[in-house]
Amino acid sequence: MRKKIALLTAASLLASVVALSGCGGGGAAPTQAAGGAEKTEAKAESADAGSDSKEALHLTFYYPVNVGGSAAQLIENLCNDFNAENPDIVVEPVYTGNYDDTVTKLQTAVQGGTPPEVFVSLATQRFTMASTGMAMPLDDLIAADPDGQEYIDDFLPGFMEDSYVDGQIYSIPFQRSTMVMFYNKDAFKEVGLDPEKPPTTWDEVVEYGQKLTNDNRYGVGLALNSGSAQWAFTGFCLQNSENGENLMTEDGKAVMFDTPGNIEALQFWLDLQNKYEIMAPGIVQWTDLPTQFLAGEVAMIYHTTGNMANISQNAEFEFGTCFLPGGKRQAAPTGGGNFYISNGLSEDRVQAAWKFIRFMTEPERAAQWSLDTGYVATRQTCFETDLMKNYYEELPQAKVAYEQIDIAKPELTTYNAAEIWRILNDNIQSAVVGDATPEEALKAAQEQATEVLAEYQ
Amino acid sequence: MKKRKTIGAMITIFAVLLGILWLIPLIWLIGTAFSVPSFHMTLFPTTSFTLDNIKYVWNAIPFGTYYINTLILVVCTFAVQFVTSTMAAYALGVLDFKGSALVFAVIFMQIIIPNDVLITPNFMTLSEMKLVDTKIGMMLPFYGSALAIFLLRQHFKSIPRALAEAARIDGATTWQTIWRVYMPCAKPAYLSFAVISVSYHWNNYLWPLIVTNSPANRTLTVGLAIFAKSKEANMQWANVCAAAFIIIIPLLLAFFVAQKQFMSSFVSAGIKE
Repeated sequence: MRKKIALLTAASLLASVVALSGCGGGGAAPTQAAGGAEKTEAKAESADAGSDSKEALHLTFYYPVNVGGSAAQLIENLCNDFNAENPDIVVEPVYTGNYDDTVTKLQTAVQGGTPPEVFVSLATQRFTMASTGMAMPLDDLIAADPDGQEYIDDFLPGFMEDSYVDGQIYSIPFQRSTMVMFYNKDAFKEVGLDPEKPPTTWDEVVEYGQKLTNDNRYGVGLALNSGSAQWAFTGFCLQNSENGENLMTEDGKAVMFDTPGNIEALQFWLDLQNKYEIMAPGIVQWTDLPTQFLAGEVAMIYHTTGNMANISQNAEFEFGTCFLPGGKRQAAPTGGGNFYISNGLSEDRVQAAWKFIRFMTEPERAAQWSLDTGYVATRQTCFETDLMKNYYEELPQAKVAYEQIDIAKPELTTYNAAEIWRILNDNIQSAVVGDATPEEALKAAQEQATEVLAEYQ
Repeated sequence: MKKRKTIGAMITIFAVLLGILWLIPLIWLIGTAFSVPSFHMTLFPTTSFTLDNIKYVWNAIPFGTYYINTLILVVCTFAVQFVTSTMAAYALGVLDFKGSALVFAVIFMQIIIPNDVLITPNFMTLSEMKLVDTKIGMMLPFYGSALAIFLLRQHFKSIPRALAEAARIDGATTWQTIWRVYMPCAKPAYLSFAVISVSYHWNNYLWPLIVTNSPANRTLTVGLAIFAKSKEANMQWANVCAAAFIIIIPLLLAFFVAQKQFMSSFVSAGIKE
C-alpha cells in the first residue's frame, strides 16, 4: 500500500517537474523551492550568530492551546525568555491545535522520524505515551538533579498523582485544572438562602436547586456533552464511593464503571433533570454553561477553575465559588496537560529538555502562568509568592481551587484513554436521552471498556 | 396555466427560504464579530458596534503572514494542478495510447482514498525528502489531482475530434490544439475545479498543521484554530467570529462577484461538492 502511494507521489512529482520544465509556464514552484532553501540558510546563520563557539542545540516544543489566543503568545514569550537565558539552547515552540490535534501531529512526527524533544499533552495520555514508547521515564533525570526529589515533592500531590506509569514518573504537571462550583450570590439572596453558605452535600444541591429554580432560571447546571461528561462523572463517582475509589485502577488497566455507587451517581444526574426538574433537560454544552451562568439562567454550575477570569470579569452579580458538594464524601476531579520528553533522544538533548521543563515550572513562572491563564498553580512554593498572595487577596474566589486539590483525584485515565472516554461518554449520553437506564448504560460501558483493555492485561 | 404559476411561486418562496437559512449564520457571524462581546446569544447584535474584536484577533497572531501563505498555497497548488491535469487528461482522453484505460483506472482509484488517510505516508515521504516545514512540502501531495484529471478527461472526450482535426489542418501543433481548442471548450470544468481546489486548500486544517512547524509557513486555518479550538473554559464567540470573518472575507467577496459564472459552470460540469 505504502509502495503504491509512494509510486503515485513519485509519478505526480515527475509529472509536475516535467510540466514545469516543459512549458515554462508555472514559474511559481521553482521560486518557492529557492525561497525555502534561502530560508534554511538564514536559519543556520542566525543559529551561528546565537552561539559564539559551538552550535546551539535546537529543541522543538509542541504545545496545544485550550484557553484562548493570548496563551499562545504567553508560551512564545516564555520560550524567548528561556532562549535568552540559555544561549546554548534554542527552543522552538510549535502550536499544535487542541489536545487531540497535538496527539495526531505527534504520532505523525514520530513515524516520520522527526519527533519534538518536549511536548505538552493531557496527563491522561501518559499510559498511551509510555506503552507506545513516545515518551521517556524521567526518574533518572530527577535522581541526577541535585534538588530533583525536592522539586517533585513540591508539586501538589493531587496533580503529581497522575504522572506515574508503573511507579515511574513520565510527566511533569503544567497546565492543570480542577472542577469547582460557581454560584450566583444575588440569586441566593433573592430566594432567602445565605449567600455565604453554598451547598456542601447532594441533598443540599437538591434543596437549594429547588428554591432557586423558577420560570427563567434553573438551579443547577452540568455540561453533559461528549468530552466533558466523563470529567464531571469522575467527580460524582468519587463523591459517592465508599472509600474514595476512582473509576479505574491505578495501573490504568481496568475500569470500575458499574459499581452500585456509580449507578447511583448517574441516577442522581437524571433525577436532577427529570425528578426534581432543577437542571435543564437534555445535553448542555461545556462551552455554553458559563455563558448561561453569566446570563443568570443557571444559579449554580459545575465548571473548571479556568473560567475564573471570564466569570469575575463579566458577572453582573456577586458570585461565589465552593468545593464540589459531596455525596458520601467530598471529592473533585483534576484535569489538564503535562510536560513529556520524547523517547530515544541523545543525552545532551534530554538534558536541555529537562532544563526547559524546570525553567517553565519555576515557582514564580508557574504562578504567573496560573494568573494569566486561569490554570491552578502546580507547586506548593507558588502559593508562597507575593504574586499569588496578592491575587488571592484581590479574588478570594480563586483560592477554592487550590484548597480543593487536597481532596482531588485524577480524572479517568487508562491505556487507550481516548477510546475509553468515548465509551463512557456515549453510554452516559444514552442514559441522559432516555435510551437506557443508568444501570444498563454503565453495565454496557463496563463491558465495552473491558474488551478494549483486554489487550493490555 | 394557473397551476404552473402557483408551482413557480412556491419554488420561489422555497428558494428564498433556503437563501435566508443560508444567510443566518453569516449574519450572526458578522454581527458578533463587530459588536462588544455579550453573553446573551442573539441573531442580531444587541451591544454597540466595535472594531476591537478584529483588532485583538489580528494582533494576537501573525494573520498577515498567514494570509500570504494561504494565498501562495492556493494559487501555486492550483497553477500546478492546472498544468498537470490538463496534460494527463489530454493523454488519457484524446491520445488513447495502449494501457490508457489501466492508467486511468489507477488514477481514478485515488478519488476514493480520503486525504486524511494519506497524512502519515505523505508525511513520511516528505520527511525523507527533507521537505517537512516548507511551503513546497505542504503543496507537493496535491500537485496531481485525480478529480481534475477525471473531470477534464470527460470533458475532452466530449469535444468532437473534427474540431481538433480542423485545427491540425490549419497547421496547429499539439500544444496549440490543447491551448486553443481543448482548453477553451473545457472552461466550465476548469472553473468548477478551481472552486473546489481553492476552497479545499483554503479550508484545509489538519495537513498544514501537521506538516508545518514555524509560523512563517502556517496558514489561516491554523490561526483560526487558536481561537475556535480554545474551549477548555468557555467559547469566546466574539473572537472566533472575528477570526472567521477575517478568513472568509476574500472567498465571500469572490463568490459575490463571480457567482453567476460559478453557478453556470457547475451546472454544465455537472458536479457538486
